[in-house]
Amino acid sequence: MFHATFSQLDEGLEKLHESVKLLREASGRKPDDTNVMHFEIALAEIGANVLTHGRPNHVDPPIEYELRLEQGAALASFIDRGPAVLDFATRAMPDTESESGRGLPMARWLLDELLYKRDGEVNRWKLVKRL
Amino acid sequence: MTLEVQTRQADNGATVVAPTGRLDVAGAPTLKEAISEALKNGSPKVVLDMEGISFVDSTGLGSVIAALKQIRSSQGDLRLAAPNQQVRVVLELTTLDRVFPYYSTVEEALTGF
Repeated sequence: MFHATFSQLDEGLEKLHESVKLLREASGRKPDDTNVMHFEIALAEIGANVLTHGRPNHVDPPIEYELRLEQGAALASFIDRGPAVLDFATRAMPDTESESGRGLPMARWLLDELLYKRDGEVNRWKLVKRL
Repeated sequence: MTLEVQTRQADNGATVVAPTGRLDVAGAPTLKEAISEALKNGSPKVVLDMEGISFVDSTGLGSVIAALKQIRSSQGDLRLAAPNQQVRVVLELTTLDRVFPYYSTVEEALTGF
């Protein structure tokens, strides 16, 4: 349904939000639909992480992103070439004083599935949200 | 979508900081800078008018926490006003609504501040 590659932070974030707008239209959901909103929050969190860390030294190839609507669920995937995310499974919500570290726990809570796999030199992410 | 920030002085002397756009990983540095400038030039009582924020992410929220620490170190305080539904969801999900009680409007936030 939606496929993009991106290299820059601003460009990538724009494309992610644009893809959710198309998803909302394709699924016939209203602008304030809670499930789509939760998906967009999670997508933006994982996307920000991938865009920030996924291109070490800013060399090509760019980050790959795909979003599909399949059997009433939003399925998104990223492939990036950043360092492995070693604490993917264990990262917990930090305390209220902390200025960072909430993205992954938020995404895990908001999605039905968040899968991460280190595959050779790349990170593969899969996000699933039933709408 | 670049974050833009306007700052004004309210009648009671408090500073109202009003960003417009997405308060995310790209926009957070702009808000931090605007709050620092506001503290140099105005009251440490700050209302963050969130009406113009269309979307917030965890890095954007981190910039609000950083602002709160900076403001409190200047013996001031920070109030949030007019967050949209998405911002409220993120505040509640992260339990930051306990740290930042929010007000429906800027006028409400300014009352008794």
